[in-house]
Amino acid sequence: MRARTMSARVKRQSGENRLVHWLVAVSTFALVFSGFGQMPMYARYGIADLPGMGWAADYHLTLTIHYVAGAVLLFAVVLHVASALATRRTAILPRRGDLAESARIIAAMLGRGEEPPSHKYLAEQRIAYAFIGVNLLVVVATGVVKVIKNLPGVDLPALAVFAATSLHNAAAMLIVVGIVGHLAAFAVKANRQLLPAMIDGTVDRSYAEERHSLWYEELAAADREPSERRSE
Amino acid sequence: MDVMSRREFLARTAAAGAAGGAALALPSTAFAAEPDAAEQVGTFIDLSLCAGCGACTTACRDKNSARFPEPVEDIPDNWPLGKHEDWSDKRDLTDRLTPYNWSFIERVEIEGRTINIPRRCMHCDNPPCANLCPFSVQEKQPSGAVVINEAGCMGGAKCRDVCPWDIPQRQAGVGLYLKLAPGLIGGGVMYKCDLCADLLDEGRPPACVSACPTGALQSGPKAEMERRARARAEEIGGHTYGIDENGGTSTFYVSPVSFERIDAAIARRKADLPEGMRTSVPGMAPEVENYLDTSEGIAKSYAIAPIAGIAAAAWAARSAWKGGSE
Repeated sequence: MRARTMSARVKRQSGENRLVHWLVAVSTFALVFSGFGQMPMYARYGIADLPGMGWAADYHLTLTIHYVAGAVLLFAVVLHVASALATRRTAILPRRGDLAESARIIAAMLGRGEEPPSHKYLAEQRIAYAFIGVNLLVVVATGVVKVIKNLPGVDLPALAVFAATSLHNAAAMLIVVGIVGHLAAFAVKANRQLLPAMIDGTVDRSYAEERHSLWYEELAAADREPSERRSE
Repeated sequence: MDVMSRREFLARTAAAGAAGGAALALPSTAFAAEPDAAEQVGTFIDLSLCAGCGACTTACRDKNSARFPEPVEDIPDNWPLGKHEDWSDKRDLTDRLTPYNWSFIERVEIEGRTINIPRRCMHCDNPPCANLCPFSVQEKQPSGAVVINEAGCMGGAKCRDVCPWDIPQRQAGVGLYLKLAPGLIGGGVMYKCDLCADLLDEGRPPACVSACPTGALQSGPKAEMERRARARAEEIGGHTYGIDENGGTSTFYVSPVSFERIDAAIARRKADLPEGMRTSVPGMAPEVENYLDTSEGIAKSYAIAPIAGIAAAAWAARSAWKGGSE
């Protein structure tokens, strides 16, 4: 690896973060698809009648997909939360004033005013993370209750099951909203610079310097401290 | 293979059977002796005693008629397929399950012998219908009765699809979906036998059992009913159905002829029915599997996933602490 300060790119996402991101993305996609299959939707709306889609109406298959993908999501969520706690990572957690700051960023994107200087994550990214994260926690926790309820010999109180199911369905819908918002963010050209961060883990140095100036300063300071002489 | 294992099983429980034989002398409902509403209730259906009179079906209809669906006049078609399920003009049908007929007598001829089989919900131990309801508006009550909450049902009919016997029946033009987006989401309300859950709560037997003039239908504590069924099967050299099927149910049939042959006879009758009437003619395939059996194995991974997640986090944190970079 080349020396960090010499590179045109800076490291933004660790291998662990990228692994978690893609495990969550793939499992959530499978969960949303199979979950809608469980609603039941695919026979009802004729989707199972489309060529090659007959399997979508097979509850046994969609339930199996849902179970397997659910276990993958559970693994990724536990890994992420436990690791973040262990290493005290807080950069992505929402802070006071993030809503107002988000409004300023969005206004700047629309050409009104200057974008405020940002840390590693923009205020709206921190809010989006919390929104999707909280709903994922709800969907995972209620999903585990639903799995337990399906075990032979387990009879949970009907009200608890109804509450778990209702929360599960509501949180799942909010996650779909969150994913749409997450993907829609890439309609804004400036945000597309972030795409490689989830592939090779890096972003363009000048992008980091411009858009995440506070984070870039931290990076530069951290770089100077241990290897001040070498880098200058 | 099924028959062999069944026989083996019966042989092994011969001792229990002998004890149950004595219990057969008890009155047809054990409720008078043990009116414990919290206890799981079972039913024992002795096909060797069923005369096919239909008193159970009539009693069921009388008891539940006030709950039968009254659909709106203009039932909306379900978009985009342009269909809906309407049984309201077939309310008089008593030879199959409909939203207006929650039990019926299946009648099959096997080697010149008529076998009458009262059919209705089996009230499974681990009911796929209730467990897989997308809105959890179907529950297994402490009595063991599996009950649909008609007020919350959207009529997606998934419960019917995951039931090995296609028991729940849909009527369009009623229920919650009419208040939301009729035609666009939902399709009606599902109806089925609820084992007269209200009567069970009072410690009384279901209406069908009370109406049976021959003692072919019995109800009482579940374990006791199972014992009676095993003992009766032993006594007549017959066969049981419902003990292991779908992971266990609370309805125990005993028949002098094997359920493989009964199932085949039902399938033949079904094939002769006019199109549109062949759905929801429940068979009696022995040892039918529970929808949730395969997922049970996968469920174990839910215990492993968090442990693996924490182990992976520890490994990742260690390298982060060592490397000093995030």
